[in-house]
Order: sequence, then structure tokens, then C-alpha cells
Amino acid sequence: MVQINFAQKTVNVKIVYYGPGMSGKTTNLEIVHQRAPDKNCGELTSISTDGDRTLFFDYMPLNLGTVAGMRTLFQLYTVPGQVYYNSTRKLVLQGVDGVIFVADSSAAMLDQNIEALRNLEENLNEYGKSMATLPHVIQWNKRDLPDAMPTDELARHMNHHGAPTFEAVANTGQGVFPTLKALAASVLRGIMQETSGGARPSGGTESPAPAAPRQPARQPAVHAAPQAPARQPARQAEAPAPTPSRVRQVAAQPVPQEVVSTAAVRQQAPAVQQPSATGLMQQPQPTASARPQTRQRARQQGTAVRRARQQTAAIATKKGGASTGIFIAVAASIGAAIAWAAMNYLA
Amino acid sequence: MTRDQKLRDDRLVFYANDITRLDSEIDTFLELSKARCVLLVDRDGHLVTRRGESVKSHEDTISALIAGSFAATKEMARLMGENEFAILFHQGQRDSLQLQLIGERTLMAALFDGRTNLGMVRFYAQETAERIEAILVEIRAEDRGTGLTEEFGAGAASALDDIL
Repeated sequence: MVQINFAQKTVNVKIVYYGPGMSGKTTNLEIVHQRAPDKNCGELTSISTDGDRTLFFDYMPLNLGTVAGMRTLFQLYTVPGQVYYNSTRKLVLQGVDGVIFVADSSAAMLDQNIEALRNLEENLNEYGKSMATLPHVIQWNKRDLPDAMPTDELARHMNHHGAPTFEAVANTGQGVFPTLKALAASVLRGIMQETSGGARPSGGTESPAPAAPRQPARQPAVHAAPQAPARQPARQAEAPAPTPSRVRQVAAQPVPQEVVSTAAVRQQAPAVQQPSATGLMQQPQPTASARPQTRQRARQQGTAVRRARQQTAAIATKKGGASTGIFIAVAASIGAAIAWAAMNYLA
Repeated sequence: MTRDQKLRDDRLVFYANDITRLDSEIDTFLELSKARCVLLVDRDGHLVTRRGESVKSHEDTISALIAGSFAATKEMARLMGENEFAILFHQGQRDSLQLQLIGERTLMAALFDGRTNLGMVRFYAQETAERIEAILVEIRAEDRGTGLTEEFGAGAASALDDIL
């Protein structure tokens, strides 16, 4: 949510790049970091895996400078796109003021695009927000691909709220700035509409009516002379000039393979563990592949199984011998009785 | 709850007097605990105020990382059946960092070194957190407008044109 701090003279806005895995969210941010003026860009911080896949988020502050006496900062985030990281995606969306949905224009990625959009709506709902009311734009990225779908068809599948759309080839920079500019403007319009459209205090003045203990402090510095930007965010001097630098990387375990189809995703999505009444997580039953055994233990177990099998076979043999004997005895008795009857009554 | 009301409930608008009160509490904490500095960050990653020695050039990034870190542990706590993990502690070779949850949406990050110890920081942080929470509750209870004018909107749009 927009934070307005009249004491520090700052306005902070949070923008999130969202979309399926490998759609170009981080690339967008890297291009902004690379091409926006140095004085306006802060560090690009990436929490990603060894394979440069976003693990938690990428973050970069974009400073508009001082506007009407207020230092205006756009905090740009990207989320991890893989289905596996839904819980962390949800965390990054907290307090979001605007979303740039980066879609992969490739026909093969349509299902994943739609799933990511559905996931975005679901995660926003958890914060009481919705795409219907949240400022957002859609970027059709990777327009240079040979199987890129027509934009009107993409819009039919994904643009349910009539949001502005932009074509882009993010890795060349094409379309990156117009997308961000459009969303930033949309968010600012939303803030101004909120200011003018009914969130005003009952005093009816444009500035909030000061309460007695706060009289001098509550006036925002609207009429103050424009100040020099309060802080110059430092850029890492060692960042290589031609390519955007990942300022910090937190190495992590390699990510699991990304699942391509939605159906496969649903099958392979890890089950959410619900806490039990005791507060302990229910542990899933380990599968054979999840619990590899040592060789010695396996050998011992195999021997025990063989012994057990042998014993069972022996018991089965004994039982089988006794039954046959009883049968023979009975049969012999009956035969003898018939023979005696035949001798005595039929002769 | 109407959308406007929800927006007002969620919005953070701080006036100078609010920050003065918060700074006063934090200064007392720094004096008692001998911590190096304190950052007050909201759960969305926005820095509310900072007092003490400077981590100036990385403030925005550190605020975002603090909020992200806390959000991750909060989710872990939920999955484990806990309401929350109210305190996180990161121990470094030279400095250490304690993150303390204040209320539901604010974090106090206290950076300290060998001049003090974790026990002192934790003890005074608890008291300070309660007082800061009381101030924040008062702030949120008020129905505040954004206080931004048309001049801001036009200026911001112009700045966007220049930069992008």
C-alpha cells in the first residue's frame, strides 16, 4: 500500500512484475536498471538460485526525484515464476500498488500464462484485492519468437479487464519502458483520484485539517521549493557496465525441473501440509525413493526375508503332508467298508 | 467494509509529529540498549523511520529485504501451527541484527555490535515495541487523507516522462 510520509517527505509505491516462469520479468527489471539514469536507479538486488532463476524476489528502487516536495520512490519487485514458489510469490504481493503481468507470447506457453494469471488473482484475493480494481498492465513479451501468438488472441485469453497492453522484446529493451511508464502513471492516477474523490477528511480542504497538537506538522510540503534529491542511492561500482549486474545473489539449492503443462503441474504440485491439532505438521509417508537405505541394512534385510521365506515354505510342506495322510486314511476306511458290505450283502 | 474504507485502513500516512514520537521512543531504546541503529519498516517493505548510525545508502534495499525475510518466516510459522515468529535474530561476525514484529504490520530492526549484547537489546526492544505499537494504533485509528495535491500528480507524471 502506498506509504506517504510527510515527515520524511517520501511517497513509496510498490510495483510487482508477475508472470509464468521464464517470461521475462527479471529481464524487464534488468533493462530498467541498465538504461534508466543512474541518479534515479538504486541497486538491483536479486535473490536467485545458482541457475539465475529468481528464488524469492528481485528488487530495485526507482527514484522519481522530488515531486511537489515529496521524494517519490517506486519499489520494483519481480516474483519467481515457477509454480513451485507460489507461497513466496504471495508474500511479495503484499502491499502491492500495481502489477505488470509479463506474458510469454509463445503459443506453447499459453496454458502457463493463463495459469499464472489465475494464480495472480487468487493471491491478490487473499489480500482483499482484485485485478478488477488494482492498476495493472499486460506485456506481451517475446514478440520475436516464431510461434508468437497474435496479440488480439492473447488478449482474448488473458485481458479480462481491458488493461493496457504492450508488445515487448525485453531482452533487447523493446517495450520495457513504455510498460513501466504506463503502470506507474496508472498507479499515480489512482492515488490522485483517491485524494480528490472521497478520501478527504470532513474539513473539506485540500490539505488535511490540522488537529491542535499537530498544526504545523500536518501540512504537506506542497509549496516548498523543490529540494535536491534527498539521497542518491548507491550503485555498485564494480558492476560491469555493459550488462546489468546482480548486486547480491543468495546461492540456493538447484530448483526442481519446471513442469510444462498445467495438468502435470497439478499432479506434481507439492501438497500443502495442514497443521494438525497438536500444531505439528503431518509428515507424508516416505516413499521407497524418498528413503534410500544403506547397503548393509539392505543386505541384512534381504537375508531375513530369505530366512522367513524358507521357514514359511517348510511349514507349508509339513502341513501339506499331514493333510494327505488323513485323506488317504479316510479313503481307505470307506473303501474297506464298501468291500465288506459288498461281500456280505451282495453275494 | 467499503473499498474506500479498506484503503484508508491499509494506507500509511505519517505526519511529522508521528515520526517525532516514534523517533523519541527509538532514541530512548538506542540509549538504553547501546544498539547501533534502528530501522522501522512496514510489512510492505517501506521504511518508516531510521535512527542511529547510518546504513543510509542501502536503506531502501535493506527495508525490502527485512520485510521479505519476515514475510517468509511468518508463512513458515503459519504452516507449523504458530501464530508468528515475533523475533528473528541474525548473528554476524561484527554486527548482529534483531528483527522484532510490532503489532501486525511493522518491524523494528535493531543493529548492534560488541558494545552491547543480545539480552540487553531484546529486553529493551520488547518494551519499546509495546510503546511504538500504541503510537501506531493511534495513527491508524485516524481517518487521514493522502494530503497529496494535483501538483504532485502532474509533477510525478512529468518525472516519469523524463526518466522513462
